[in-house]
Amino acid sequence: MKIIVAIKQVPERDAPVHIDSAGKWIDEAELQWALNESDAYALEEALQLKEKHGGEVVVISAGPERVGSTIREALAKGADRAIHVESDDLAQRDALGVARLLAEAIKPESPDLVLTGLQSDDLGYGQTGVILAELLGLPHSSLILHVEKTDAGLAVKRELEEGWFQEIALPLPAALTIQSGGNKLRYATLMGIKKAKTKELRKIAASELRTGDAAVVTLERIALPQKQKSTQILPGTAKEAAAALVEKLKFEARVL
Amino acid sequence: MILSPPTLAEPQYFALWERLLFAAMVLASGGLFWRRFGPILHKILESRKDPDFHLFPIGRRVWDFFWEVLCQAKVIQQRPLPGIAHAFIFWGFCAFALVTLNHCAVGLGIGFLSPDGPFGRFYFYLAAAFALTCAAGILGLFVRRFLVRPRWLGQKLSWESGFIALLIFLLMATYLSAFFVAETSPAARILWWAHTVSLLVFLPIIPHTKHLHLVLSPATVFLSRGGFSQIPPLSGDEDFGLVTGKDLTQLATLQAYSCVECGRCTEHCPAANTGKVLNPKEIVLGLRGYLNEYGPRSEEPLLGKYNSQEAAFQCTTCGACEFQCPVGIEHLPMIVGLRRGAVNTGAWEDDHGAKLFLGLERGSNALGLSATERDKFVQKQEFPIFDGSQEYCLWLGCMGGYDPKGREIVADFARVMNYLGTSYGVLRKEKCTGDPVRRLGNDLVFQQLAESNLEVIKQNKVKKIVSICPHCVRTIQEDWKEFGIPPEVEHHSEFLARHVSRLPKPASDQEKIVYHDPCYLGRYRNVYDEPRTVVAHAGTLVEAPRHRERSFCCGAGGGLAFLGEETGGRVSSVRATELLATGATTVGTACPFCNTMFRDATLALGQQGSAPAQIIDIAQLTARSLPQIPANTAG
Amino acid sequence: MSGIFVVLEERDGRVSRPSWEAVAAAQELAKKTGQAVTAVVLAANTEPLAAEASAKAVSKVLRIEHALLTPYTSDGFTLALEQLFRAQAPDYVVFPHTYQVRDYAPALAARMGQVLIGDVTGIGDGPVFVRQLMQGRLSGEYRSAGKGTCFVSVQSGAFRVEQADRESATSETFAPTIDASQIRTKPGAPFRGSAQTVDLGSAPYIVSVGRGIKEADNLPLVQDLASALGAELAASRPICDSGWLPIERQVGSSGQTVAPKLYLAVGISGAIQHLVGMKGSQCIVAINKDPEAPIFEVADYGIVGDLFEVVPALTEAVKAAKQ
Repeated sequence: MKIIVAIKQVPERDAPVHIDSAGKWIDEAELQWALNESDAYALEEALQLKEKHGGEVVVISAGPERVGSTIREALAKGADRAIHVESDDLAQRDALGVARLLAEAIKPESPDLVLTGLQSDDLGYGQTGVILAELLGLPHSSLILHVEKTDAGLAVKRELEEGWFQEIALPLPAALTIQSGGNKLRYATLMGIKKAKTKELRKIAASELRTGDAAVVTLERIALPQKQKSTQILPGTAKEAAAALVEKLKFEARVL
Repeated sequence: MILSPPTLAEPQYFALWERLLFAAMVLASGGLFWRRFGPILHKILESRKDPDFHLFPIGRRVWDFFWEVLCQAKVIQQRPLPGIAHAFIFWGFCAFALVTLNHCAVGLGIGFLSPDGPFGRFYFYLAAAFALTCAAGILGLFVRRFLVRPRWLGQKLSWESGFIALLIFLLMATYLSAFFVAETSPAARILWWAHTVSLLVFLPIIPHTKHLHLVLSPATVFLSRGGFSQIPPLSGDEDFGLVTGKDLTQLATLQAYSCVECGRCTEHCPAANTGKVLNPKEIVLGLRGYLNEYGPRSEEPLLGKYNSQEAAFQCTTCGACEFQCPVGIEHLPMIVGLRRGAVNTGAWEDDHGAKLFLGLERGSNALGLSATERDKFVQKQEFPIFDGSQEYCLWLGCMGGYDPKGREIVADFARVMNYLGTSYGVLRKEKCTGDPVRRLGNDLVFQQLAESNLEVIKQNKVKKIVSICPHCVRTIQEDWKEFGIPPEVEHHSEFLARHVSRLPKPASDQEKIVYHDPCYLGRYRNVYDEPRTVVAHAGTLVEAPRHRERSFCCGAGGGLAFLGEETGGRVSSVRATELLATGATTVGTACPFCNTMFRDATLALGQQGSAPAQIIDIAQLTARSLPQIPANTAG
Repeated sequence: MSGIFVVLEERDGRVSRPSWEAVAAAQELAKKTGQAVTAVVLAANTEPLAAEASAKAVSKVLRIEHALLTPYTSDGFTLALEQLFRAQAPDYVVFPHTYQVRDYAPALAARMGQVLIGDVTGIGDGPVFVRQLMQGRLSGEYRSAGKGTCFVSVQSGAFRVEQADRESATSETFAPTIDASQIRTKPGAPFRGSAQTVDLGSAPYIVSVGRGIKEADNLPLVQDLASALGAELAASRPICDSGWLPIERQVGSSGQTVAPKLYLAVGISGAIQHLVGMKGSQCIVAINKDPEAPIFEVADYGIVGDLFEVVPALTEAVKAAKQ
């Protein structure tokens, strides 16, 4: 099976969030970068499928030069080769624009399976994988925890709300967006990093890919949200505090 | 009638056939010896060269040789009675060198030491004295092994040890008896042949048994890496640690063959003492077994038939094994080497281990918490931020920065520094020093952490670090050397001891405090007195039965604090029980990990109504007597 | 162009609650743009859904009916809605941001040359749509280029459902053309995680109990709260060590790591070994009588009090809210 895994390099979890001078994005000067969390699970799923059924795992990522370190990390974990779509202005593109770039680079590969993480830790659209499926004309499913190869194609386990699950059968080739937590991730090893040095990393400039079309949706402005995370101690009697808590959980935290 | 003192009866005349027979026996014996020893020597030389071996400075090696081999210091210190017995046997052997040479020369008709001459007379009496002590020694050890049967010598009776003991005894007996027969008597001749046969039977047995240490251990001690738990750097792109026989170095092979099977390492191993699979003696003998079957060039995995991955990952790296070993075997580089081989190649599949590694691949601390937690703590405590102008950089570490109890310890230590007017600051950003991943064998993550930290330290112009955690201290001082030049670093006990005279004493110092030596402060760093000074200042110091270099691990080291539940008994419970059995109600600790381990253990022990023992760090013991002052007045 | 469409989603034969919130969002948008709101329902049989929808404050209910629309498949819904939207050309389409919508709406938008603005928490003048970035640490305003339909999905709980007057809405049916060969995925029936063993990892709500509970006999108190919340019961290590709850329910460094929507720590002090097992939870609530307990450092909400009073009160409050 030839599996393509689209991965994204995102600011690491502890990254300081300061709005830059232009007011359109955060200041990237002091940021450290890491592989997007659900993409790590997508990569793990791909590697496990390869280990079971043979084939090849190709990672693809779009972004500026710094993305190379995350690509190499994916190679170190076991991907066979990589494609880097070099682009310094990804921020100017919307989800459709980015997906178009990736789709153009993926099309010549004719993969059996395209995997992406469910959503990115920075923008969090959760759309790239689904749009990719549409652009590549592939059947897809999302929020996948488990993938099995069958004679007819794939049987996947999809997460539904509130602790329910569903099995979906789909033919190959297909696209899936992978939810975090379905597998146990493997750690990066010294041996992996050393091997990665000899693996193919092909670079394609974004300009080489025919995508055109200006962005349909633009991010106009960013701001720090009014409420910072801090512990709210609810005062009063047991009854009062309990009532206040339920209120907060329903409308502020929105978990009930 | 004046009794003339007895002289050694050396048969003066051997017939030609006797001399030929003797020569043949010597050749046969020597040949058999070489037949076994040759391949072993070959295996040692055929092993990979140690990339970091330096013969110089030679002073340390000469001293170790003198002290540990010639003076038998470790042998005696760690097990006095059997140690002395062994020392006598060893010294006996040394003294007998000349005797044996002469004995053989006599057999060939060219004896050079006359029993009547002044030197000969003196020397033979000297040797006789040694023979007596040697015989007594071997008798004592025989009784110990076969009648007393201590459990770390193993369950099975070693007949070969018994036979060797017999031979040694015969050698001494035949020598001594020769004083009481006439030179020309047949008895003298019989004794001479008996001695010869014992000798020539002993010789080839040496390389077939653990008595190989007779030949190897002086070299092993002399050639050892030095230091303690010296983990060698990886050399080149193909080196991932100890994966197959090809990774075993000359030193490792030499050490594997030097093992005397005395079991001193096992006796003090916390894992072996709590029913786990790990037994340090078996690790070394496992390598020997591997080398015997496959040899040093083999591609068979080292963790397989002779050693198990499970055992290798039960080690807390406390170092009691390496510290005890009388023949210079360095267990920790072996165990960590085996772990490296498993981790660096991804062969170790452990959920908790993977979580630790993944957390440190992208995060800053071993607990998997957000760095903002540390920031919040630093802000709340109003620690001064290190800016290059202060004398000390107070290193929080993972426990000091994120663990509630570790934070208390740091906060109290800061209070003491404030009281003393010490100039210090805390770094804005810290990453884990890498101790747990280093001991678990993940060189990739360790390198990333070490390099990142060294860069931050350089940028901030840090000259001196003081830390509450012996693991941080050790890793910064020693392990970071592989990737740069670490700053000076000391443990807070060393700092406190220096300043103790300026610190107020408590109103009453009657409180009995039993001090527990942390492995990474005691055996690893040789710091025993400074924390005791601090404890004695705060109360009455009580010693645990196993203390100082004999201290028994709390169970957290070697990365184990971050792994799953242990099998067998809990190491921390064993130690906690021992500490509390002293009658002290307070346990003084100097390491945040020991503190955490004992707190859990004593809570589990103290369910029966009585108040649980207090587990208090030396910083907290000191801070207790300080006048109440605001959080930060110095900087 | 024909105003604002809201796509309602079905759950257990009824319109799901997030769908009503989407309607509320659509109505808020309608106030800004002065346009009418049309509810859209899709299914093999839309009668029950349409009946519900027409009782809310929408101008029209559009019923898309086709046998291949039940059960839900991405292909089915995308085809049907695309056909509808091309025919009716709405200015805006509002969805609830559910797992199902995330599965098809991006593809639908892309097919129509648009981009879904997802997980919206607020609507500003313009209109601009506000959503969270960087895991809630940043918020951003998004605007659509203006040509063609603008697709938006709204976050559950962001828009409060108002009690609307009963208005009778007009109804219209739409019959899409879908062929069986166009449905490429075959969905199975939904099922729960394995019934026997405890699956804390996938539980959306967890009530966790610690040493503060004092005795095993007091556990039913907390179990009641868990039942009221529809939560799984978990515990810190000492509880499992004492055998009061099985080891599968242990959360912490030597137990499970969980990241539910809501983690309620009852009588748990917050030792590091426990924290590392639940720090990733979306919302953490702590109930402890010690105001200095470390658990409060990581909690979003805390009640300092006697759990034997607070827990029953909370159980009552939760039951009342769920009615």
